[in-house]
Amino acid sequence: MMKKFLSLLKTYCNIYFGISSMKYQYTREKKSLWKPVLTLAGVVVGIGSIIYLYCLMISGIFRGAQAIGHPEIVLTVAFLLCQLLSLIFGIFYIISVFYFSNDMGMLVPLPLRPGEVLGVKFITVLLSEYPVTLSLLLPAFILYGTTAGTGIWYWLKGIVLIVLAPVPPLVIASIFVVLLVRFVNIRRNKDMLMIIGSLLGVFLGLGINFVTQNIPEGNEAEYMEKLARSSTALVKSIGSRFPASIWATLGLSLPGLSGWGYFLLFVGFSLVLLAALWWLGDRFFYKGYLSGQEAKRKGKALSRQSMEKSIGTMSSPVSALFRREWKLFLRTPIYVMNSLVGVIILPFALLMPYLTQQGGLKQAMGYARNSQYGFIAALISLGIILFGSGMNMISCTSISREGRTFWFSRMIPVSPENQVLAKLLQSSVLSSVYLIVIAIPLAVLLHISPGRLLAIVILGTLVNILMNILGLIIDLLHPKLEWNDPQEAIKQNLNVMFSMLLSWLVIALFAVSAIALIQYGIPEAWIYLILGLLALLLIAPGLYGLFALARHRYRALEA
Amino acid sequence: MIEIKHLSKSYNKGSVKAVDDLNLNVRPGEIFGFLGPNGAGKTTTIKMMVGLLNPDSGTIRLAGFDTAENPLEAKRQTGYVPDNPDVYDRLTGIEYLNFLADVYEVPVKERCERISQLLDMFDLTDAVGDLIKSYSHGMKQKIVLTGALLHNPAVWILDEPMVGLDPKSSHLLKEYMRKHCDEGNTVFFSTHVLEVAEKLCDRIGIIKKGKLIAMGTMEELRHGDQADSLENIFLELTE
Ligand SMILES: Nc1ncnc2c1ncn2[C@@H]1O[C@H](COP(=O)(O)OP(=O)(O)OP(=O)(O)O)[C@@H](O)[C@H]1O
Ligand SMILES: [Mg+2]
Repeated sequence: MMKKFLSLLKTYCNIYFGISSMKYQYTREKKSLWKPVLTLAGVVVGIGSIIYLYCLMISGIFRGAQAIGHPEIVLTVAFLLCQLLSLIFGIFYIISVFYFSNDMGMLVPLPLRPGEVLGVKFITVLLSEYPVTLSLLLPAFILYGTTAGTGIWYWLKGIVLIVLAPVPPLVIASIFVVLLVRFVNIRRNKDMLMIIGSLLGVFLGLGINFVTQNIPEGNEAEYMEKLARSSTALVKSIGSRFPASIWATLGLSLPGLSGWGYFLLFVGFSLVLLAALWWLGDRFFYKGYLSGQEAKRKGKALSRQSMEKSIGTMSSPVSALFRREWKLFLRTPIYVMNSLVGVIILPFALLMPYLTQQGGLKQAMGYARNSQYGFIAALISLGIILFGSGMNMISCTSISREGRTFWFSRMIPVSPENQVLAKLLQSSVLSSVYLIVIAIPLAVLLHISPGRLLAIVILGTLVNILMNILGLIIDLLHPKLEWNDPQEAIKQNLNVMFSMLLSWLVIALFAVSAIALIQYGIPEAWIYLILGLLALLLIAPGLYGLFALARHRYRALEA
Repeated sequence: MIEIKHLSKSYNKGSVKAVDDLNLNVRPGEIFGFLGPNGAGKTTTIKMMVGLLNPDSGTIRLAGFDTAENPLEAKRQTGYVPDNPDVYDRLTGIEYLNFLADVYEVPVKERCERISQLLDMFDLTDAVGDLIKSYSHGMKQKIVLTGALLHNPAVWILDEPMVGLDPKSSHLLKEYMRKHCDEGNTVFFSTHVLEVAEKLCDRIGIIKKGKLIAMGTMEELRHGDQADSLENIFLELTE
């Protein structure tokens, strides 16, 4: 049985991570290697800088924790972060790998137990979590191990714990998902599951944000003490169901027998959870999968009238493409959730520290409402909003999202220019809606005058168009067209990260220009005008480049 | 109507020659059947004709338009049905058809007429308000056919169009192909069903390992041997 399981696991990982297909591409098709190398370099730089910031944070926490005599808090924080992130992101992966992948049609008829299939899928998810796990845990683990005078057993136990760290949250998420699919009636709408998963992730994220940000300012030691207390409080508040990170910490930091006790507790806990998942999988996995297979059908003929109404008007190809983009976007909940929720959450997350410190908020509001600083407040608001639209993945995945239907784009008699134009329009309308929806309440809150509001909305729209052009260029250069489940097109798409980094550059460019203009004492109206012209000046060659690239890439991307 | 000259295409930087110096001509009013063993290069040829793949060399003219020089005009003149279509399953059938009608710029009156005629023929009128996601394999095939024929293109290019259709739909499609050609248009289709090819096609081409090994009417392929069936000819030639 073990042999069968291992062979299934090997095949499955091969498919999931595309190992054979990669080999094929670079040995048989002899694709040039510069592209993956370049991508890798980009990833190293992008992720590397995030990890660097994280290491700075970890060493800060470590110093604070040392100051209050509990250096092991750094381990707790790392384990907690790792487990919570595994839980949040795990839910998405699990839903899509367990229930949405096309391979189920092939796996179900095979003579395998549901538990085995579930196990294989679980391990695949687990493996894809390790890069994150390692980057979160290793800095804290090494820092504590090298400074706190530990022995060989610390390192050995540590390796086991790091390997097991994502197991409890992922098992818990899996059990949750398997039971949800089995017992909640989502027959009618598979997409429901994605929405529930996303909302859960968002609430968890917000909760964590609230707890961790809800710390009054003070000296560093006090701050860390509070953080230590609040992370314990967080563990408690999520319930005694999730104390695994405390066990891991104690298992590593306590000497002698009690250390081993906690270590074994963690290991045992993980193994028990795995067994429970296996057991549940055998019972519920296929049943839930099979009940979620229906798509909604009305089955009633459209009346002649309603049919004539829906085909009775002619629109230009660009507008037809524009409407297709919207329909496909709005009808795929995972796209909507990702573009809207992420984008709306962000400003609040940024503002959270101020909102939760009553004094700080009042002070900031006071400054902003002071007519003297109104202009600055307007520009900073615009910056925050743009930062949010920069995280929007609509433009930088708009080719990728076509996936296997990309052949339409090559077949239809519409020029590549018009096709990308429709995509640019769609993403720009979306970012403008977002801009207005956020800017108006902000303006009311900060007493920004209508004139200023209008100015930042226009300026913001221009910058959004520029960022969307760049996003489209990135996606055209390197679209991810091979996917089975829509969420792969956005969650496993590196273009999202590249376009985010690029949009930060754009924002930085405009911020620096704005600061320079203010320093030179240019009047406000002129500053809007100059920044607007700067945006237009960049949009023009951007559009030209986009169209030229579209002509080239729509030919090169064979379907 | 279809003019292919010295068409070649290889995959994997030349290691697999899928289509090798192919030449053929299909005249107006002709149904052309494209036969060949699995992996012979039929789908590759068809994909180059409709612009999904770029030829390594050679030219293709459809209804007088060169696909490399005037791709948009050539595309307007063609209707294409792939062998295994991936469609927008989050659109309803009618939205899909309307999208294509807009993209091919079909006037309102004509689109209403043709859509209801084709939907009636394929018995899809009841399903057209549902998401394509909920369609069966054959229904998907039929909605793609409907979409491809909507703008009344002069050249139909169909990759194994009968696969997955029920006997009645397949019969109606064959009649429709005949009628289309009798109006002076052209149908080019690939198939593995030799009886269909034998009965329906005016001319037949057989491709093997990327090379056209035989082409002509049934009479010409038989070389005067009246008793020989297309099956025997095919088996002999592709030996
Ligand atoms: N995407 C691809 N990458 C590499 N080789 C390919 C690809 N598509 C087709 N081939 C190769 O090109 C050759 C011709 O394939 P093609 O799909 O045109 O055959 P076909 O005549 O349509 O076969 P079938 O009757 O099975 O549909 C085959 O040798 C095949 O292996
Ligand atoms: Mg084929």
